[in-house]
Amino acid sequence: MLLNRQMVFLYVTLAVSVGYLVTALSLGAPIAESGLTPAFFPILVGSAAIVFCSILILQALRAAPEAMPAAKLRSYTHLWVVVAIFVYIAAFKPLGYFLSSGLFVFALIVLFSNFEKLLLKAIISAVIVAAAFVMFQHLFGVRLPVLWG
Amino acid sequence: MDFIFLVFSSFSLLADPVNFAYVILGFVIGTIFAAIPGLTATLAMALLLPLTYSLSVETALMACASIYMAGMCGGSITATTINIPGAPSSMMTALDGYPMQQQGKGALALGHAALGSMFGGAVGALLLIAVAPFVAELSLLVKTTGKFSLLAFALIVVVIAQRGRIPQAGLAACIGLMLATVGLDAMEPITRFTYGYASLTAGIDLMPVIIGTFAIAEVLTQASARTDISAAAAAASKIRIRRRDFLPPMSDIRKIGFGCYFKSCLIGYFVGTLPGAGGSMGSFLAYTETVRTSSEPETFGKGNPQGTAASESANNAVCGGAMVPMLTFGIPGDPITAIMLGVLVINGIQPGPQLMADQAGLIAPMLAALLFSAVVLIPLTLWLIGPYFIKIVAVRKDVLYAVISLLAVVGSYVATYSTFQMFMALGMGVLAFYLRRNGFPVITMLLGYILGPNLEEFLRRSLALSNGDPTTFFTNPDSLFFVALTLVFVYFLVIRKPEGAAVAVKKV
Repeated sequence: MLLNRQMVFLYVTLAVSVGYLVTALSLGAPIAESGLTPAFFPILVGSAAIVFCSILILQALRAAPEAMPAAKLRSYTHLWVVVAIFVYIAAFKPLGYFLSSGLFVFALIVLFSNFEKLLLKAIISAVIVAAAFVMFQHLFGVRLPVLWG
Repeated sequence: MDFIFLVFSSFSLLADPVNFAYVILGFVIGTIFAAIPGLTATLAMALLLPLTYSLSVETALMACASIYMAGMCGGSITATTINIPGAPSSMMTALDGYPMQQQGKGALALGHAALGSMFGGAVGALLLIAVAPFVAELSLLVKTTGKFSLLAFALIVVVIAQRGRIPQAGLAACIGLMLATVGLDAMEPITRFTYGYASLTAGIDLMPVIIGTFAIAEVLTQASARTDISAAAAAASKIRIRRRDFLPPMSDIRKIGFGCYFKSCLIGYFVGTLPGAGGSMGSFLAYTETVRTSSEPETFGKGNPQGTAASESANNAVCGGAMVPMLTFGIPGDPITAIMLGVLVINGIQPGPQLMADQAGLIAPMLAALLFSAVVLIPLTLWLIGPYFIKIVAVRKDVLYAVISLLAVVGSYVATYSTFQMFMALGMGVLAFYLRRNGFPVITMLLGYILGPNLEEFLRRSLALSNGDPTTFFTNPDSLFFVALTLVFVYFLVIRKPEGAAVAVKKV
């Protein structure tokens, strides 16, 4: 199969490796009179990555196509977790630690469970965020961004 | 001898309430994380890494040592009682521990596991204390070309140890090496692969790499898998462990034999010194050796305490072994020693051959804490709170992963007070998640990233010193030794292909 999940991952990795090698080649000649240049090692690594990628793609193409698991529901929760972390980081400084972290923890608890008992989950989130604040700010002396300065 | 004396005098540091509190806290956290299926002591250490900024190096390293020791024995709790190893290193423990539990001897199985862990951890730590100074002295003899060959040896062994998935391991190592080349070149004032981002000029920081690889990737894996542990939690709630049944009788210990304990410790210790092998490989080899030499091999897998003792002795002895290359050459053998290396780097200490000579005062307390954790904390913790630890599998996973995510993301902010590092941790987490999901071992990526800068520097220096002559790697005795060693490992791991070892390695 040319386009299953693993193949897509390998194609992306191959594309990144090729991009890396092209950038490495643009750094200049790999060997100069004084010895190896900063381009040599990246060229070596980029080439090795392309070789490994090609081997894996060939192996995957030669392998007999496996029977697709019947009606197995795919979970996309991990993608929502990535989105939640991304939004959290973007909001961390503008909204301050408490508001951004409270919403983030609440969102993750809901993502890892369900939409029931939301009030209890909100209270748990508040407790976690407060406890983490005490730990970071007071126990370990880390300055976290807060709205009141 | 001076170093051994220094280690034993460092026990006095445990009398300091702060040090003592962190060692105990580290041990309890390590045990909890190792006992909960899906969490590992590596994750615990990754989460605590940012906190080392506010601790003294000695205290941070002592806490790391206790987490490491706890992580190796904590997995035996759920392996024995509900047949779900909390950590990969406890897989072999479940083979005999769980049948013992089914026979109503769960407490006794935990007692044997604790005794084996205590013995293994102590022997591993003592061997480390005795051997490390000599290896450190030898390491000073290794010159530039030898250093390159040594680093190449470590990276190649980590890759070929992943039997059955060597191309995946090779690609993962290349990805790690690629990450290591980002930023300012070590020898010339040229920036590479920064693509105009000033934040990348100093390179990719170790902290987001570790937090992303072990904490964020783990959260994403759990979110993707959503394993149902309700059956395990229900099983755990029914189990009653009585503390009075915990102590193994002398007749059992005599039957297992001192030889079995000691042989398993030696196997675990030497496996630990190999890059990428880890606790599961150590316990696997010790278990199979015990079965092979037993007069009643048919009893294994049916509740023979000798199996539990061999497995736990070996995996805890791995702790001492894995620290030898980390302390003497700056080569981490597994993810936990990689994070310990991170603690040193974060605090401005350069790991490598000079470490034991220049910073013995920082390293000695860590080894003292390792020994203390093995001899005192393993039996004490399992005896005092072992019966209750089994209940923690029922902890709410939604709350647990929310807490882990918060600590991971905010933790990556601590180093530079910059959200760039947080985004970097997220990026590394996504990368590690997809690598793991597609069967790529992340340990090889991590080692590629950690060893990459020195590998490149020593390669370029070696060739500069030899006027570009590549035969320098074969004409220098120290380099030739590591080249020959690499070939020996390639022969035994790739060409000769030992049966069965792949099973254990795949689970690492």
